Amino acid sequence: MIQITNLVKYHGSQRILDGVTVTFRAGELTALVGPSGGGKSTLLRCINGLETFHEGEIQIGTDLKLTGTGGKPHDGRALLAIRKRVGMVFQQFNLFPHRTVLENVMAGPVHALGKSRAEAIELAKSLLARVGLSDKLDSRPGNLSGGQQQRVAIARALAVDPTVILFDEPTSALDPSMIGEVLAVMRDLANSGQTMIVVTHDMDFAKQATAVLTMRAGRVVSEDLTP
Amino acid sequence: MPVLRLLFIFLFLALPAQAQEKKPLRWGCDPTGGAPYVYVDDKSTDKTFIGFEVELAAYLAKKLGRDSVMVDGDWSNLPKQLDKPADVEKGLDIVLNGYELRKDLLNDYAATRPYYVYRLVMISHHETVADKELRGWADLYPTAGKPGKTVGVLGGSAAHRHVKKTFPDGVNLQSNPDVANVFKLVQDRRMDATIQDSPAATYFLKKQPELVAVGEAVKPGFYVIYYRKSDPELGAALDKAIAEGLRDGSLKAIYKKYRIWNEDQERLWYWQDQPWPPDDLDDADEVEEDGPTANPWLRLIRELLGAAGVTVLLALASFPIAMIVGLFVAVGRVYGPRWLGVPLGIYVEVIRGTPLLLQLFMIYYLIPELMFRTDVAGLVWLAKNLSPFLAGVLGLALNYSAYEAENYRAGLLAIPKGQMEAALALGMTRATAIRRIIVPQAVRLVIPPVTNDFIALFKDTSACSIILVVELTRKYNELYNFNRTLIVELAVVTAGLYLLMSYPLSIVANRFERRLNASAGGRG
Repeated sequence: MIQITNLVKYHGSQRILDGVTVTFRAGELTALVGPSGGGKSTLLRCINGLETFHEGEIQIGTDLKLTGTGGKPHDGRALLAIRKRVGMVFQQFNLFPHRTVLENVMAGPVHALGKSRAEAIELAKSLLARVGLSDKLDSRPGNLSGGQQQRVAIARALAVDPTVILFDEPTSALDPSMIGEVLAVMRDLANSGQTMIVVTHDMDFAKQATAVLTMRAGRVVSEDLTP
Repeated sequence: MPVLRLLFIFLFLALPAQAQEKKPLRWGCDPTGGAPYVYVDDKSTDKTFIGFEVELAAYLAKKLGRDSVMVDGDWSNLPKQLDKPADVEKGLDIVLNGYELRKDLLNDYAATRPYYVYRLVMISHHETVADKELRGWADLYPTAGKPGKTVGVLGGSAAHRHVKKTFPDGVNLQSNPDVANVFKLVQDRRMDATIQDSPAATYFLKKQPELVAVGEAVKPGFYVIYYRKSDPELGAALDKAIAEGLRDGSLKAIYKKYRIWNEDQERLWYWQDQPWPPDDLDDADEVEEDGPTANPWLRLIRELLGAAGVTVLLALASFPIAMIVGLFVAVGRVYGPRWLGVPLGIYVEVIRGTPLLLQLFMIYYLIPELMFRTDVAGLVWLAKNLSPFLAGVLGLALNYSAYEAENYRAGLLAIPKGQMEAALALGMTRATAIRRIIVPQAVRLVIPPVTNDFIALFKDTSACSIILVVELTRKYNELYNFNRTLIVELAVVTAGLYLLMSYPLSIVANRFERRLNASAGGRG
């Protein structure tokens, strides 16, 4: 469970997040929708500390908490702990181009969790099988299609076994023909009970979410909780 | 009226020409560390050049009814300056600077009768002699368990040729264009001995009480004045002036003033009316271990290849250090805290903004000098054991580290922000993200400019000749001095060797570049 209370963030004098209070429940797929510039991505990036915020707090589970710093960097140790529990999938995939697909998925377990390579290889192989890319283990990201790259990115995020995964417009950079394969993987994840927060413009996908939050001008303007 | 004005101008131009009648006598020398030949007395406030050759030139010019004009040049290249006309910049009428009578030079230039008889003197530090390390010429050789002595000479001089010929193996021969530097190294015991012509030896022995002459002075030879073969009248006039100067005691007075008169000079009279140059002038001085008929190229190529090996070693030893230091500096500047960024920025600008030659000079001569002054045992030991090669490696590494830092900085800044975010989002620390994700990509990105710098460093190794490292360019200079008939051929071979070594590097660089372009295209 992630509980956000009265989150405020400024960009210069502009109030990007204007007192956001919202709760994301475990095991649910939450869609964050709304017009561009409404603060969806910023809110998402505050949760795993890629952005700092000025006021308010973010409670993750029972033991991890980020509080507003007035814009200064968060404590590094708290961030490390949070990021091991909160995964992220980016709009531009951000795969590591100098590494193979398998090595990309291994990066988290090996470099963040300190697992052995052998263990990481087994894990990465099974995750890549899950996203349907068992035949691309030794390919470089540059040789994959956009849809394939985003599926690798999802497997990479899953590899650190996060309790929640943040998706920042995961299909916006894709050709329409490739959106389906990525959404299928995400749906599969949601069905398995993975907690997910997805910033999206895809209303068809949003309809399948447990909850749909609409953000506008830095505020949550509607919470549509479909049963 | 215009006619009158023209007449005035004509008169004005003609006047000084008439007053000057004869052109000045332009004599060439190298004042670098040239006591007692041509030097500035550091005790006097007057900063004009003095020296026995300055006075000799003045005497000769006066006899010829001309003004004496000193023209400076690089000692080993002074005769070459005679190939140009006398009235251009750095043009000469004569070379008068402790030049010995040499058969190879007589091929291209004419020589006067001798004006001084010199000998070769070995000079060492009195403690080196007291330690019984060096008591005579034979001690230069390696002995059981001990390597041969390190001996400094003026590059291209008779001493250089003599040591090279007499001690072809085992002696660590180091040539340098600056005599004063060599004496300084002996004085600091960083060099075992130096072999010098007797005038320089006399001067420095008197000036530096730590220095002593070792063994006998050997191989007497003549100092002569070189002039153009096309200028026999000048030669005859100079010969006449030298003879007169000997007869009326003018030369003796000059030599006595500089305390270099000795009984060897009595021979000068004898040679004033003998056939000149002597027919039996041996070319034993020419370094030919292989006899007159053998092909000299076998030996020359062998020597050049050996020096090329030193060049390769210098480059291979220094560049990896430059890369590592540069990478750390770049990471510190891009990802480090601000208090670190400022000094690193200054480091890069200072190193990039000062010449490599100066940096090498600082590392080899000045910093050890300061270390000696501290009197801290460890520092003194370090200063004493800093070899020219090591100093060269350090200097090149230092210099290129600044350039590599800028290359790597550009590479780091070119990595998209999303890479760092993705790594952090996985739970990596910043340090791990930099090490595992950012740096490997940045390093790959700048392989072409870094390879390019390696090729540049390769050629910059030649700057190490200033600190006594005998690399390819230094060796070329040395061989060219002893083989003046092969100047062009030697230059071509040397250039060819450089090309032969750097061209494969270019090929490798191009291949890297193509591979990178290919992968970048695939990524887009």
